Amino acid sequence: MLLTEKAARTLSAKVLSLVKADDAEVSLESESYSQCRFAANAITTSGQREDIRLRLTLWINKKKGSASSNQIDDASLRSLVEQSEQFARLSPVDPEYLPTLARQQYKPVQGYVEATANISLASRAKAIDRVIALGEKEKVLCAGFHQARGTAGAHATKNGNFYFSRSSLVSLSVTARLPEAAGSGYFLRNHFDVAKLDTARIARESIQKALRSRDPRPFEPGRYTVVLEPQAVADLLGSFAFSFDARAADEGRSPLSSPGGKTKLGERIFDERISLYTDPWHPELPGSQAAQDGLPAQKFYLVRNGILENLIYSRFWAKQKQKEATPGPVNSIMESSVTPVSLEEMIQDTKKGLLVGRFWYIRSVDPRTALVTGLTRDGVWYIENGNVIHPVRNFRFNQSLLQLLASGNVDLVGAPERVGSSEAQGGNPVLFPPLKVKEFHFTSQSEAV
Amino acid sequence: MLSSRRQFLNATGLALGTVAFPSWVLDSDAAEATAVNKDRWADIAISSARKIGATYADIRINRYRFESVATREKQVQQVARTQSFGFGVRVLWKGTWGFAATHTVTDDEVRRVTRQAVDIARANSISQRKPVALVPAAKVVASWKSSFQKDPFEVKLDDKIQFLLKINETAMKVKGVSFVDSSILFVNEQKFFASSDGSRIEQYLIRSAPDFNVTAVDSARADFQQRRSLGGPQQMGYEYVETYPWMNEAEQAANEAVEKLKAKPVEPGRYDLVLHPTHLMLTIHESVGHSTELDRALGWEADFAGTSFLAPDQTGHFKFGSKIVNFFGDRTQPQGLATIGYDDDGVPAQRWFLVREGVFVDWQTTRELAGLMGRKSSFGCCHADSWGSVPFPRMPNVSLEPAKDPISMEDLISDVKNGILIYGNGSFSIDQQRYNFQFGGQTFWEIKNGKKRSMMRDVAYQSRTPDFWSACDGIGGQATYEVHGALNDGKGEPMQTNAVSHGCPVARFRQISVLNTATQRS
Repeated sequence: MLLTEKAARTLSAKVLSLVKADDAEVSLESESYSQCRFAANAITTSGQREDIRLRLTLWINKKKGSASSNQIDDASLRSLVEQSEQFARLSPVDPEYLPTLARQQYKPVQGYVEATANISLASRAKAIDRVIALGEKEKVLCAGFHQARGTAGAHATKNGNFYFSRSSLVSLSVTARLPEAAGSGYFLRNHFDVAKLDTARIARESIQKALRSRDPRPFEPGRYTVVLEPQAVADLLGSFAFSFDARAADEGRSPLSSPGGKTKLGERIFDERISLYTDPWHPELPGSQAAQDGLPAQKFYLVRNGILENLIYSRFWAKQKQKEATPGPVNSIMESSVTPVSLEEMIQDTKKGLLVGRFWYIRSVDPRTALVTGLTRDGVWYIENGNVIHPVRNFRFNQSLLQLLASGNVDLVGAPERVGSSEAQGGNPVLFPPLKVKEFHFTSQSEAV
Repeated sequence: MLSSRRQFLNATGLALGTVAFPSWVLDSDAAEATAVNKDRWADIAISSARKIGATYADIRINRYRFESVATREKQVQQVARTQSFGFGVRVLWKGTWGFAATHTVTDDEVRRVTRQAVDIARANSISQRKPVALVPAAKVVASWKSSFQKDPFEVKLDDKIQFLLKINETAMKVKGVSFVDSSILFVNEQKFFASSDGSRIEQYLIRSAPDFNVTAVDSARADFQQRRSLGGPQQMGYEYVETYPWMNEAEQAANEAVEKLKAKPVEPGRYDLVLHPTHLMLTIHESVGHSTELDRALGWEADFAGTSFLAPDQTGHFKFGSKIVNFFGDRTQPQGLATIGYDDDGVPAQRWFLVREGVFVDWQTTRELAGLMGRKSSFGCCHADSWGSVPFPRMPNVSLEPAKDPISMEDLISDVKNGILIYGNGSFSIDQQRYNFQFGGQTFWEIKNGKKRSMMRDVAYQSRTPDFWSACDGIGGQATYEVHGALNDGKGEPMQTNAVSHGCPVARFRQISVLNTATQRS
């Protein structure tokens, strides 16, 4: 059962009333979660969970202690406060302490749908059964994951701030595999409104990709022009907006650091058509109404028309550097300043290149250049003279994300679409476009299907 | 300037004994009450499930406690305790699984959640083509405790803070070091399992995970290098903090982080690799641990973690590596993070071969998987990371047997003309069938004509699992054997974490492809 605003207000007030410390903040999140997995055209596991997380952080003489629990009876609340206060007494002074926020004004975000948070078991079972039936009809083996989550929570401070928020998220991913591992296709979409999750399209797209990926041919690794579907862009860059930390850049340990102890703020880091921003009220991708420490979230650009416009300042680091603390990001949107180009047009515009639908197991290799390694997965196709010619085997890549988006390397940019990183199982929605880039570095082949 | 221990004690009042260490006092009251009620809740869940048609049911009533401290340089950034308590009921209804869980543990909730688990199974049964069947498991009534000498949850917070600040101080003394982050995490799992087969099992596990990372920055060149601790988490108590040479390693790591800034960039090409256990454990994890999971081979993880290059019909004859290579699954290994008394199917911990004399011989199984291979019993690999998570197949400790002869690291190096010695985990990535992988490390040392030379940098190697293990021509003896692990092995949907270790000796691999990560040349 999700917390109502009234219940969240009462519970957080009860915790704060027990606190004797100088300052404190309470974060509450109740969760209702339901999931169903299937594989080899049969349901494997399915479950439902209800939980609550209550975290209390407090300061005594600027010394910090924190504790959290999922038990909210009176004895457990007293224990939580007692532990936090005793931890604070035993801790050294927190030199980064800043008083918690006083009352703030928030502009509400509409990202909650009751039907998503309380998913119908029967409707979900039917939707998954249709995916499996389509797989059986097309003689492919479908594996997939359907999840629906509702959360309701609150944040309250001893200095008088309080906000309540609710959100929902539903996602479905399907991997369709040909018998004898002759090919594989993948498609994932998510939404906050279950009515807008097109499960039939997800099944159709994954199966079509699998059928088109049959018997991939070996292809020499090297530097190729690539057309990246929105899923592949989300896989590569899904968490990139959250790595613009000002302190790391100032301290010289970020790809956004410059020689001489400077940062790249104000410099062109991406192609001039590309902007990366956050917008809590985007109708397709509602974020949170609150950013770090409860600051009211705002729309702002990290990168505008290729120029690094903002780094992310924590409240502490902003004070040190006499800047404003950054009210986000609370979501991640990438778009082009010129008319978007469709994926089909990108393919038609390609003389020789590769079409990539998904990346996998992406890990940092060299944080100085945002160099990452990973692999293509579930479908790569050779493009010649504007046509998709045949599937090719998977590759390992080693690619700098800054070089990927740099001026001169980005060829075409599409319209952003709501997707989510496949490694995050669709749980981190973004609005990202398809991209055509001139050079992408594949370093070896993978025979995996 | 770092405050002395005396200053700190005076400031906190500890020296006067005015502040007691925060205990889990109220929790212990709750734990006592819980102990009384667990059997009753188990009876309610299992009898309710049977009444509404379940052919199998189990309940897990678990409490998880975490304590963490994080510091950087001279300051403490976070001191926190977290606990989570709840239960999950799993049922089989007409051969379909159902699971439900909640943090509210009462008689009524146990009844409601059990009904919910059956409702889920009933709804999903429309897609069930073949009913789930479990191989038999003996009824177990037992309790088990992991091996530790000193419960870290009973150690004073001050000791933990001072331990971390001392690491930071030691590293920061080295000229050229810019930053040090350090942290410590203690985990306690209190698990209760009861099943409709009659089992009732209590388990108590302790894990300790100190960690640090030293950074040296050359701001003039916008260059920075890091050296992370090699120790890693262990299934041990606070004695791990007190016995491992943390301060020596902090000083060594600091020197190595600085040295890395000026180290020689690797020239891409083929090298003989000598891999220290602090590094090799992760290569084993990714290429051997995951490829021998039967659920992957059957396509159950196809949508996320992936499948395997191994197939059921290759059992007993697929050439996995050279003849000297022997891997075993082991849930009994001392200090192993996946060491348990009983898995989440109620099956006892075991040790068995996965690869013997280079040939792939067996899988990791659960009660559900074992039957699909025609086996009569499970190897005990069922695990859930929380009371609220669905139990599913997870990796045991997967380890490489040392050579019977007393072969040292120097012996292996002495037969290398042009090679690299690698310590520690760096970047890691592997494809969804566990063929193609790429690994970095923490430090890289050139080997020339049988001798370890100077440090190298920007090294990563790529290979293909069967090729790599076939290229293994030297394995160290028992004296080089070490057990290292990770707390965060991810698998499943939704993703669950698994704590797992890999024991291994130092080992040598011939002519492996190495790339330069700075120039991206290979």
